Amino acid sequence: MAILKPLLYIFVYPGVIFLFVYSTFCEWFDRKVYARLQNRMGPTHTGRWGILQPVADFIKLLAKEDIVPERADKTLFTLLPVVGIAAVSTAMMLLPVWHYNVANSSPNSFSGDIIVLLYILTLPTLVFFLAAWSSTSFFSTIGGARVLTMLFGYEVPLFLAVLSPAIMAGSWRLAEIAAFYQHKPLLLLPNIIGFVVSVICLQAKLERTPFDIPHAETEIVGGTFTEYSGKKLALFRLMTDVEMVAGSGLIAAVFLGGFPGGVILGFVNFVVKTLLIIFLLTLIRALTSRIRIDQVISFSWKYLAPLAVLQLLITIVLKGFVR
Amino acid sequence: MRIAAFLPEILRHLFKKPATVDYPFQKLEVPKDFRGTPFLHPELCIVCRACVRDCPAEAIDILTVNEADKKFKMVIHNDRCIHCAQCVESCPTAPKALEMDHLFEIAAFSRWDLKKEWEYVKAQVKPKAAAGTPSAEAKS
Amino acid sequence: MKFTVPIGPQHPALKEPISLRMTLEGEVIRDADIRLGYNHRGLEKLAEEKTWLQNIYVTERICGICSHSHATCYTQGVEKLMEIEPPKRGIYLRFLVAELERVHSHLLWLGVAGHEAGFDTFFMYTWRDREVVMDILEMVSGNRVHYAINTLGGVRRDIDDLQKKKILDSLDFLRRRSEFYFKIGANEPSFVARIAGVGRLSKEDALALCAVGPTARASDISQDVRKDDPYGMYAEVPFEVATATSCDVLGRVVVRVKELMQSYNIIEFLLKNLPDGPVAVRAPRRAKPNEVVSRYEAPRGENIHYIKSNGTDKPERLKVRAPTLANYPATVVMLRNGFIADIPLIFAAIDPCICCAERAVVLVDGRSGEEKIVLMSELRKQAHERWKKAPLKKDAVWPF
Repeated sequence: MAILKPLLYIFVYPGVIFLFVYSTFCEWFDRKVYARLQNRMGPTHTGRWGILQPVADFIKLLAKEDIVPERADKTLFTLLPVVGIAAVSTAMMLLPVWHYNVANSSPNSFSGDIIVLLYILTLPTLVFFLAAWSSTSFFSTIGGARVLTMLFGYEVPLFLAVLSPAIMAGSWRLAEIAAFYQHKPLLLLPNIIGFVVSVICLQAKLERTPFDIPHAETEIVGGTFTEYSGKKLALFRLMTDVEMVAGSGLIAAVFLGGFPGGVILGFVNFVVKTLLIIFLLTLIRALTSRIRIDQVISFSWKYLAPLAVLQLLITIVLKGFVR
Repeated sequence: MRIAAFLPEILRHLFKKPATVDYPFQKLEVPKDFRGTPFLHPELCIVCRACVRDCPAEAIDILTVNEADKKFKMVIHNDRCIHCAQCVESCPTAPKALEMDHLFEIAAFSRWDLKKEWEYVKAQVKPKAAAGTPSAEAKS
Repeated sequence: MKFTVPIGPQHPALKEPISLRMTLEGEVIRDADIRLGYNHRGLEKLAEEKTWLQNIYVTERICGICSHSHATCYTQGVEKLMEIEPPKRGIYLRFLVAELERVHSHLLWLGVAGHEAGFDTFFMYTWRDREVVMDILEMVSGNRVHYAINTLGGVRRDIDDLQKKKILDSLDFLRRRSEFYFKIGANEPSFVARIAGVGRLSKEDALALCAVGPTARASDISQDVRKDDPYGMYAEVPFEVATATSCDVLGRVVVRVKELMQSYNIIEFLLKNLPDGPVAVRAPRRAKPNEVVSRYEAPRGENIHYIKSNGTDKPERLKVRAPTLANYPATVVMLRNGFIADIPLIFAAIDPCICCAERAVVLVDGRSGEEKIVLMSELRKQAHERWKKAPLKKDAVWPF
């Protein structure tokens, strides 16, 4: 039993199988809602309401011809999708879904795991940059440069915004933060600024519409992924989906009070809360047009970073009152 | 400048039926004057060849099968047809011998499948609306 | 670090093949070079082989979006050559379709501008409402794209009261929607940030580089063939020339939306004052030897056809100057010192119709970059030689 539980944790829930199923479901949800917001149909014909469309896309891409450019760094080029998907899956392991004990720390829930999680969620960005750089195409190179430029814009506000609830809870452990807010749900309200900032930053991290600059198709073709095809592209797409789930899971754990109630209720909590955040992400995607790279930087340093600092100040002042 | 100016509009459409028509399963009606593909009423054709002359895409051929029996063959190459309906316009017979139908799904696997043929005997009706047009010149 | 990025001939931002070579410094464009000639179809030569009547359909196929513009421009010229005057109802119907086409073209452009800026929701909604105009055009003319309503001496179809009422009803809807899109286009912060101040073309530059259509009007040049040199019945129709003073892509959006409103007014006027009578007169099959220049304000700008006749039933020469061609020099100026992210927006802002503007092919030596003019026979000889030397490709496989 002691061995079975971690195995279940790694392979079934919230591990590999759940991740694949749920991330493809989230992609379907995102696409369907996005389509409905635009008065379109969205995926329709694969499975009921087109629910299997992302899986079908994944399988189709797996079957496609896999091309590696002659001048590319072949090892890096091939390895990066695997590294990326490993990184985001590991991030998912650290979310306090089940199989943790608030009192004792365990390998999947320990003091400081919020920092580790944020760090691991930065890895995909580096993977994107390296992927772009190693494919040596003009469009990829520009895309890679944009990936890194954008990283300097959104990363600091995201860290500040996500860490301020942790300061309020007085812990660097996700399980404890979640438990703190489950205990005092009213204290979630002052974090609203941080929530907004972190959702916008997550959108930027996922490179979705107002921030889809690194792979803006009308400007630089496929951007980062110009040279990728077949299995590697499929893995990259899956990686973005998993990153979306992990990122929204992080925000749900920190800002929405985590996923209490054991396996079943926790599962329901997880699905509802992440879908809510994904809906918000989709709404942002439908509402805005792509902005320029310089506008991203000035936007995040002019508005997002000050707002995140303001959130930090509110938290610190409020903490004085609460204690 | 207003943040999220589009929000009310898109939220309104979230639970509405999509504007898209699920095409192959659901079809739209075409208007009554739609220009589909041309077809021939063989009993009305007087073989004046006005359609052959005016067709911009050279999609209509009239071949002579048997001069003595006045038997002719009209071939419409739908692969070349640009659906402009000039042949219908040019047709001088009183009920038009050439007409457009409402078909628009005429895709085929081979361009030869798109060829349509009619073999017929030349009609005896005199052209009515032919005053001034040199439609009777092409009798050969 | 300076480097050259090829945008096109195949690129997702371009719907048709054209080559833009951008010299970049980081994200900033230092120079732009436009290369045409990927979509040459020899339509002018083809027109010399067809009769006057057949050529209406040939010229209609110069462009898909402004098909009626080219056909009308040609028909106008030929009517002048043949010395026939179409009846008034025919004229009214012809330009009713012309204005409907302008509406459909501008709505299409609005959507494309949204798409190029990554604002796909805007794109979807404008294109959804564009379907209303497309349906009207299908109802009036029998087809959605190539209306083929022109004939020498008038139009081919009449409209009845039911169709008239339907068009007037949809006008209300279209007016409301256009106002809404204008509100969105001028208010959504991320969209305005992308288009305001982008692709600047000063009034002097626009004049010097002979920009036409909405591109010129957005640079505060009140230039419109419908006003300056009225053709058809435009002299009796009240409308204003829409201009903007901001000289950027936002200005071009504003001009196009204003023009949409003017077009709705014109359509309403035409329908309310539709005269009775026949729609066409009979045209002769031949034209006397003469030449004519026909001007027409297409949705994209001034369209010019030069037609020369030699007494037969075929034109001696047909020369087409599509509006896009006149806007290319201005585009190079607009692109300079812009960001790489603005290329699709600036280029789309002139509403390029690339295949309309392809009138010649230049042969460039791939190694030396030298341009030369070669006779057709010489070209054929070269091709023969090359073909003889070329290796057999019978068992060619993909190089893995």
